[in-house]
Parts: sequence; C-alpha cells; structure tokens
Amino acid sequence: MIRFDNVTMVYDKKARPALDSISIEIERGEFAFLVGPSGSGKSTFLRLVLREDRATAGAVYVAGQNVARLSSWRVPRLRRGIGVVFQDFRLLPQKTVFANVAFAMQVIGKNRGVIRETVPEVLKTVGLEGMGHRMPHELSGGEQQRVAIARAVVNRPGILLADEPTGNLDPATSQGIMQLLDRINQNGTTVVMATHDDDIVNSMRKRVVELGSGTIVRDEAKALYTSMMPAVRPRRLGEPAAEERRERVPSPSGAGEEEI
Amino acid sequence: MRLAFILGEITSGLRRNLSMVVSVILVTFVSLTFVGAAGMLQLQISQLKGYWYDKVQVAIFLCGQGSTSAGCASGPVTPDQQKSIKALLESPAVAQYVNDYHFESQTEAYQHFKEQFANSPIVDSVTPDQLPASFRINLKDPEKYQIISETFSSRPGVETVIDQRQLLERLFTVMNQASVVAIVVAGVMIVCAILLIGTTIRLSAFSRRRETGIMRLVGASKLVIQLPFVLEGVISAVVGAVLASATLWAVAKFFLGDVLAKQYPDTAFISPAQVLILVPLLIGLSVVLAGVSSLVTLRRYLKV
Ligand SMILES: Nc1ncnc2c1ncn2[C@@H]1O[C@H](COP(=O)(O)OP(=O)(O)OP(=O)(O)O)[C@@H](O)[C@H]1O
Ligand SMILES: [Mg+2]
Repeated sequence: MIRFDNVTMVYDKKARPALDSISIEIERGEFAFLVGPSGSGKSTFLRLVLREDRATAGAVYVAGQNVARLSSWRVPRLRRGIGVVFQDFRLLPQKTVFANVAFAMQVIGKNRGVIRETVPEVLKTVGLEGMGHRMPHELSGGEQQRVAIARAVVNRPGILLADEPTGNLDPATSQGIMQLLDRINQNGTTVVMATHDDDIVNSMRKRVVELGSGTIVRDEAKALYTSMMPAVRPRRLGEPAAEERRERVPSPSGAGEEEI
Repeated sequence: MRLAFILGEITSGLRRNLSMVVSVILVTFVSLTFVGAAGMLQLQISQLKGYWYDKVQVAIFLCGQGSTSAGCASGPVTPDQQKSIKALLESPAVAQYVNDYHFESQTEAYQHFKEQFANSPIVDSVTPDQLPASFRINLKDPEKYQIISETFSSRPGVETVIDQRQLLERLFTVMNQASVVAIVVAGVMIVCAILLIGTTIRLSAFSRRRETGIMRLVGASKLVIQLPFVLEGVISAVVGAVLASATLWAVAKFFLGDVLAKQYPDTAFISPAQVLILVPLLIGLSVVLAGVSSLVTLRRYLKV
C-alpha cells in the first residue's frame, strides 16, 4: 500500500537529511507504528506519503503510484484516499461537530443527501452519537480527536495517517482513541501512526518501525516501543555512538508549536 | 452541492473582509471611470468628425436656397455652374493637387446630418433643401488648401470653401490630450486596484488558512479551494465596473444630454446609449484585472 524506495528528503542543504535513503513497505490492511526521537523524520515520512513534499531522491509509492510523478491536479485524488489525524485535532472552531465532519465531504462535492446520511453514521462509529450539534470548544480533548478521526475516515480512505494523535491526551483517553484506530484498521484501512507514547505501542503489539536521524534503525512485527534486541547493538561503520547521536538531534520543531 | 458550497464560502469571505472589499470596489470604480472617460472622449471626437472628416480636408459648399453670401446673390447653384466647377476640379491645373473628390448632394448631406445629430433636437427642424450640396476634396498635400480656396471661392455657384481641419483640429488636440491624461490616471489607479485586490485576497486566504489547510488534506480540488477567493476579487471588481458604467451613463445623459446639448444646440453630442458600448469593455477589464491579480496572489500564498 505504501512503499518507500531509497527515499531521501533534504529540507536544508546544510543540515543532515530528514530522511536518509530509507526503503520500507507497508502492506494493505497493516497497522504500523512509526517511533523514534524528536526530529528523526516521522512527520517527514507522513508528509511524503501525502505528497505535501516531494522526496529529494528515491520514489514513494502509494497504492502502486509514484506520488512524485502525479501531476498537481491529480494530487487531490491521492489525498482523498488518505485520511490524516494530527496531535492538535485541527477542527474548525466556528463549525459544529457535524459541520466539521460534513466539511470533508462538501469540499469534494458529495451531495447533501449522502452527507446527511453518512455523517451521523460515522459519528456513531467514533462514539460521538448525538453530539453533532456541539461546538469543538464544548468537547474534551479526546472527543475532539474523535471528531478529527471521524472527519479523516468519512470519505472511506484506504489509508489513515496519524501524527501523534494521542500526544495531547491522558493515558485512559489515549487508550480509547487507540481502540478506535484499531477498529478502523480491522475494517481494512491501512493505519500508520507516528508516536512517542511507549505505553500505547507496548499495549498494541503491532509492527514498529523505529527511525533515528532519518534512517530506519528497527523494523519489527508485534513489537514493543523499545527494542527487544540487545540494548547495545553493534555500531555500524561510520555511525556515531548512541549518546552522541541524541545530542545532535535538533530541538523539536513544528508539531510542538502547533498545539492549542 | 459544490456550487452552493462555493457560494457560501464567497459570501462569508465577502462579509469577513467587508472594509477591504469596499476599498476594492471604490478603487476599481474610480480607475474604470477614468478609463471610461477616455473612451467617451474618443467617442465624442468621432461624433464631432461626422461623416467626412477623416476622408477629406476641404469642402466646397455650393449655393443653396438659404445661402446669403455675396457669391450666391444670383440664387441656388445651376446645373451648368455645377458642371463647370466639376470640370475645373478635373482640369490638370487643379487635379495635380487632388487625390480624390466626392460630390455630396443635398439628400446625402441630409443623411449624414441626421446620423451626426441623431441625439440633438435640431435634427427635426432641418430639411434637405436647407443643407447645401458640396464637393468634398481629399488633397495630396493638405497644406495646399490655399490654392483650392483661391481657385474656387469666387466661382459662380460657390458659397464658400472651408478647410475642415482648421475648425476642429485644435479642439481635437485638447480632447486627445485629455484622453491621455485620463488614461495615465486610469493606469495608476489600475495598478492600485491590482495591488489592493492582491492584498485583499492575501488577507482573505490568511484568515481562512485553517479551512483551506483541511480542504487540501481531504483532497478538495484546486478549483474548489481557489475559486471562492478569485470570485471574491472578481465580484468586487465587477461591482466597481458597474458603478463606473452607471456614472458614465449619467454623465452622458444628464451633463451632455441635458446641459451641454441645450447650450450648444449645433454641436453633435454622443448619446447615453452610445456610452453603453463601453460597459462590456469596462466589465471585461475588471474581470481580467481581478482574475489575474488574484491568481498571481494565490499562486504565492495559497499552496495547493
Ligand atoms: N519544513 C521543514 N523545513 C526544514 N526542515 C524541516 C522541515 N520539516 C522538518 N524539518 C527537519 O527535518 C527533520 C525531521 O523532522 P520531522 O518533523 O520529520 O521529525 P519528527 O520525527 O516528526 O519529530 P517530532 O517527533 O518532534 O514530531 C528535523 O531535523 C527537522 O528540523
Ligand atoms: Mg513530528
């Protein structure tokens, strides 16, 4: 469903690449966690799938298509097949819950009848039955994230990307959100979730892809947040020691500033 | 559905940016009024030129029933006199200066008069026999007017020889200069309008960046994302163009038609209906300038 072929992403020529020649395949219907320290390239990975950016080198395939080759007027079609959820929910504050979810259907031209029928159904699946008339500020963080998930899946995308969706939520609420994502995954949607939340990764026992400084340092099925492999793994040629590497990681940028 | 959605976006955008929208309307209104004023001056010039102005330089008017000048003491021109004038025109002595000439009969004169004065009340009180017949002459060298004048002025049957250019040239120079000034002012104002439309759309795109961000993510097409912004600019500019057209029409109707036409009854003025041919031009211009400036702005400030 998603395939990276020697993908390198360089934002800033002077800094190290955000992704450094990574290759990975995520199958249709899979659930994969993307973990790794801040700045390791998780969000960059997701942005490349969405074609928010184009890879500097290598190819990104989504559903068999090389996304860099898509002409700009076809990009919307790619994105209709991908739902996205963020740490900061990104709801429209002046719209009700119903209108927020309906918005995703309106802007791609779905007709009113379909919208009136589908939105309550989706709200029910995310556990917000009957809350369509509420405004976002009248909801808890967990409920807001459910609205965001409802909006992401209302057009039935084949892929759901989640960038730290539980980053702003307490553990219990996070578990609820994870159950929801798991249910969506069991209905056939491929889910890729970037996270720092070790409890969640440990409780789910799904595939874990660990990034470090733009490279894949681990890719394990049914795994835990930290490696079950020997803690001190033999250093590769030319690779800095773990401590050193952590020091070189730049301070978190982007996601943190967008919190509400 | 999508149409209803886009319309909703446009109205909310217009409401949110009301003061900017009003300034866009006013700036396009003023700039297009100047463009239209230049257009009206040109229309008025061609109205004053009448049928013959661009075709000939000299007119030899023949004596008619009402002619009072000394040369016409013996009454209207006779066919013989007319023939001898024509012969003289074709004689080598004169023909060497003449490119071309036309004879305008009294009926033709009346036709041309009716066209030129279509908007003046005077047209109803004139009959064909009040208008003199004439020879209209296109000279090889317009400066040689004197020669024609000297040769024909004292001929029997000739009322007068007129150098048309001398009469109107100065007025036209002034009017053309006024047109140029109007176009220059219009140009400056149009630059203002383009910049202002750009700024308005930029602000609008900024205040709706959350919405457009989500639209992008869920795969809304470029058209659906950008069209509300473009139309917002285009609608404001078209309102400005309509106001400008209304102003020009009012000037033609109330100033030219009611005031000036009464003061100068023997001058041919343009009619309000003629001004309306400028309307599609102004509206087209407003659509183009708003469309172009909004597309350029969106390319920079609204990534899709
Ligand atoms: N738009 C950008 N312009 C320049 N550099 C960027 C940009 N986005 C990310 N980077 C850089 O790319 C690297 C990877 O960033 P990325 O956001 O993918 O990390 P992350 O793993 O998502 O981190 P976090 O866990 O803090 O969200 C970082 O060094 C970051 O500074
Ligand atoms: Mg990130």
